[in-house]
Amino acid sequence: MSVDLPPVSSMAGDCMLAKDMYDFRNYLQNTGIIFCYSGYVTDDILVGIGNAIKQKLTIDEEDSNTTRAVFSVFVEQVQNVIRYSAEIETTHDMTELRYGVITVGKKDNRVFITCGNIIKTCDKERLGSKLAQIQGMDKKELNKLWKETLRNDPPEGSKGAGVGLIDIARRARKGFTFDFAEVNDVHSFFTLKAYI
Amino acid sequence: MKNIKIEATDRSPELDLNFEMNSFCIKGESYPEDVTEFYGGILKSMENYFSNLEGETIDFCFELIYFNSSSAKVFMSLFDMLEEAAEEGNTVNVEWVYVSDDDNMEELGEEFGEDLEAANFIMKPVE
Repeated sequence: MSVDLPPVSSMAGDCMLAKDMYDFRNYLQNTGIIFCYSGYVTDDILVGIGNAIKQKLTIDEEDSNTTRAVFSVFVEQVQNVIRYSAEIETTHDMTELRYGVITVGKKDNRVFITCGNIIKTCDKERLGSKLAQIQGMDKKELNKLWKETLRNDPPEGSKGAGVGLIDIARRARKGFTFDFAEVNDVHSFFTLKAYI
Repeated sequence: MKNIKIEATDRSPELDLNFEMNSFCIKGESYPEDVTEFYGGILKSMENYFSNLEGETIDFCFELIYFNSSSAKVFMSLFDMLEEAAEEGNTVNVEWVYVSDDDNMEELGEEFGEDLEAANFIMKPVE
């Protein structure tokens, strides 16, 4: 159940800070967003937020198949950021931290999982055409491609099985959209939104 | 071959690989940070082991709650390995255990299982 908060004017403390944060929270809630993470993503964050999502959807009495599908798409989306975001910090022991934005929400009776991260613009065409290809596939074609991809060697430049996007498409019962925005000469921002 | 037992963690499954009994089980959730690091060595040992077996009975059980796409690739290799062992004259029983209301896990089991011809494949829903 959601909590009714008092209006901003009655909040104590640093008004500007609280007002800004409250406006930000309201913006997220108005767009249906329940969870929002923007920052460097690690596997521990994935597990932590993943568990919270499962709990929240269980409280909302989503059926267990929906909860499992949301969790599954969330994991693939976050692992894509961890592996492929082009916004990287490298620590002194060579651990790489990659930046991304992940939201999970509900609107119009659909749960959505949205992920955004910087990519190199030179990867845009390959990624875009791969997504357009699987977007046009029916369930049977997707399953066939999934199996073929599992048996093939991972594609060049892929750190996983190269099957994550197909998996997202298989799980996104109500479809998915994707988009790119130019950031600078060499970078673009990539967003994938999956509906369940 | 020495038996291998690895406890489950938040994101990796329990592995109970009993080479003495030819009884193997993967159980739990599988989305390790580095799939190759987690499964790589084990896959290799199993491949060597299975390729030298003759006239044995192998029982392999998958009892998974969730696995990610990289783990699916590992399981596909395992299924192919088991089918090969069956083609070589071993009796191979593969059991896919899943929670009965988990439509996706049921579907995944069917998809993996449909390629097994020499090996026996059993879907086993549990409450």
